[in-house]
Amino acid sequence: MKDQTAATANQMTRRQPSAFSSLTFWAIVGGLAVLGMFVDDPYMQHVLILCFLWAIVAAGWDLVLGYAGIYNYAQLVFFAAGAYGSGMLAAKLGVSPIVAIPLGGIFAGFMGLLIALPCLRLRGEYIALFTFAVHLAMPPLILKTKHWGTGGNTGLLGIPPIDLFGFTIGPRDKLAWFYLTLAVASVAIYIIYFIVLRRRMGKAFVALRDSEDFARSLGVSDFRYKLLAFMSSALITGLAGALYAHYTTVVTPKILGNEFFLLAMVMLAIGGIGRFPGAVLGAFIVTIANELLRSAGNMRLLLLGLAVVLTVLLLPSGIVSLRENFQRLWRKTRAKQ
Amino acid sequence: MQQYIEIFIGGIAQSAVYCIMAFGLSLIYGTARILNFAHGSLYTTGAYVAWVLTVGGLGLPLVLAVPLLIVILFTAGAALERVVVRPLRSLRDWKMSTMMVTLGLAFVLDNANLLIFGPVAKPMPAFIDGTVTIFGAIISSYRLAVLGIALAVLAALEIFLQTTRFGQAVRAVSQDTQGAAQVGIDVNIIFGFTFGLSVVLTGLAGFLLAPIYLISPLGGWVLFLKAFVIVVFGGLGSTRGAVIAAFTLGLIEAFVVHHVGASWTLPIWLVTLLVVLMIRPQGLMGVWEK
Repeated sequence: MKDQTAATANQMTRRQPSAFSSLTFWAIVGGLAVLGMFVDDPYMQHVLILCFLWAIVAAGWDLVLGYAGIYNYAQLVFFAAGAYGSGMLAAKLGVSPIVAIPLGGIFAGFMGLLIALPCLRLRGEYIALFTFAVHLAMPPLILKTKHWGTGGNTGLLGIPPIDLFGFTIGPRDKLAWFYLTLAVASVAIYIIYFIVLRRRMGKAFVALRDSEDFARSLGVSDFRYKLLAFMSSALITGLAGALYAHYTTVVTPKILGNEFFLLAMVMLAIGGIGRFPGAVLGAFIVTIANELLRSAGNMRLLLLGLAVVLTVLLLPSGIVSLRENFQRLWRKTRAKQ
Repeated sequence: MQQYIEIFIGGIAQSAVYCIMAFGLSLIYGTARILNFAHGSLYTTGAYVAWVLTVGGLGLPLVLAVPLLIVILFTAGAALERVVVRPLRSLRDWKMSTMMVTLGLAFVLDNANLLIFGPVAKPMPAFIDGTVTIFGAIISSYRLAVLGIALAVLAALEIFLQTTRFGQAVRAVSQDTQGAAQVGIDVNIIFGFTFGLSVVLTGLAGFLLAPIYLISPLGGWVLFLKAFVIVVFGGLGSTRGAVIAAFTLGLIEAFVVHHVGASWTLPIWLVTLLVVLMIRPQGLMGVWEK
């Protein structure tokens, strides 16, 4: 009986940040930092850098989609806002990248506000419809604003590398980028999962997601917290976008194309939405798998799409649920003995 | 004056096809509460299947090709519901899961179409040639035929939903799934049927618009976006709202294209969406679902 109540309680709180302690988290980050010293193949370093950047995007999306329960499909718009914002400030106005990158994040946060305001009047699927429409409308908008310096179809070229007190971190300095992105990603993920979601704000997100009317009757302001969820998620994703722009030195509307959207979605689907290491783990698995699939050519996107369909069907809560499933199985077999 | 008649009739013909597509999207949402993100990709797939059946490969005459197309699309839709959507219903957050799965499906279909048919748009000859003069305005007979066919389909749907027993069951499920199940309606059959019907409708729209827009692997997304806006304007799940919205927006589009230029079509649709959502977020005839 006691076991049963514990199991139900476990199920009720299953989307809370798991017992993953912050010590474990920093130990893994430290492990990755040590790993960086031994990886000297530039391609491997490049893949890991992409993993870190995508982990930020996946975590940011997980915050709004998984924990706040808002069906936001415009996440890559924030990524693009950060990339274009920072890239244009640096390339067109000559702002130093160290200043431009945070400004890019802030610009993305502002976009988050713009998109959130109409969304907060809507419910459920209407939000999904609206945000996805915004996502689809972005590439034509970038083409239309070519004369503002977005670069149109060819993209924004010549984004300067980061210049830190005389040291230039160019796209070739993979090791420097490795540590920079690792640092930003670990701090961003720590802030999302260990600070925001474990404080009052995160509890409000989950309460509004699980029972909006009840949460509101307790005095949780849905407007304020949904806006906060949107904006913080947009700001963090925008930072990843800004870093990405300075890392690759080129931004094209392709970052809003099917491929990137699909990648981000597979990450959440495979990893598991609203369960802590899920989205981050998904980002690593999918980024590496995507690189391994490069040889598959045109088949790659088809396989990614199939991966979404199959994981949602076969493993609806993502790979993080595997552990729980094994534990349940383990407990059952032990109980039989 | 003649010019305006031309625009008006062209706009109505276009609207009628949008209407068929939006009707399908709204029908699934109304009964099964599923937002089908693969609707646009199914539109393209329907057009490709029609192309293969007629000019692209088999060369069947229309009398044979159209019934075959309908059977294929219906089977595909019902199978999709059974294999991909139904297993997710028992999940706690099935809404999120079905959105994910239909989006994934959309990308699978798009990329499969791209692999099979290549990136170059396929032309489809209009099955009726020539022009007709109405009040001095010259209108292609194909557009008139499209208008006629689309209106006939809409009328048939309305009669089906209002008068037949099965249509009434569909409406009952969309009003109250649980209540319908309690009075003995097999809800799963209705879900499968509406999914099949919805795929038939979007595929037919793809077939009807193919001679006007050509068939390209990603061509369905624009239409999907328009169907979206129509459905939101009319109210999710309300098929009558969708009909009114489709004709309003289709006519606005026709006049905007004529006066401002075709490149403004999509921005206009989005601005309309935004305005509608700000003024009346639940759409013309929609209801909030608690």
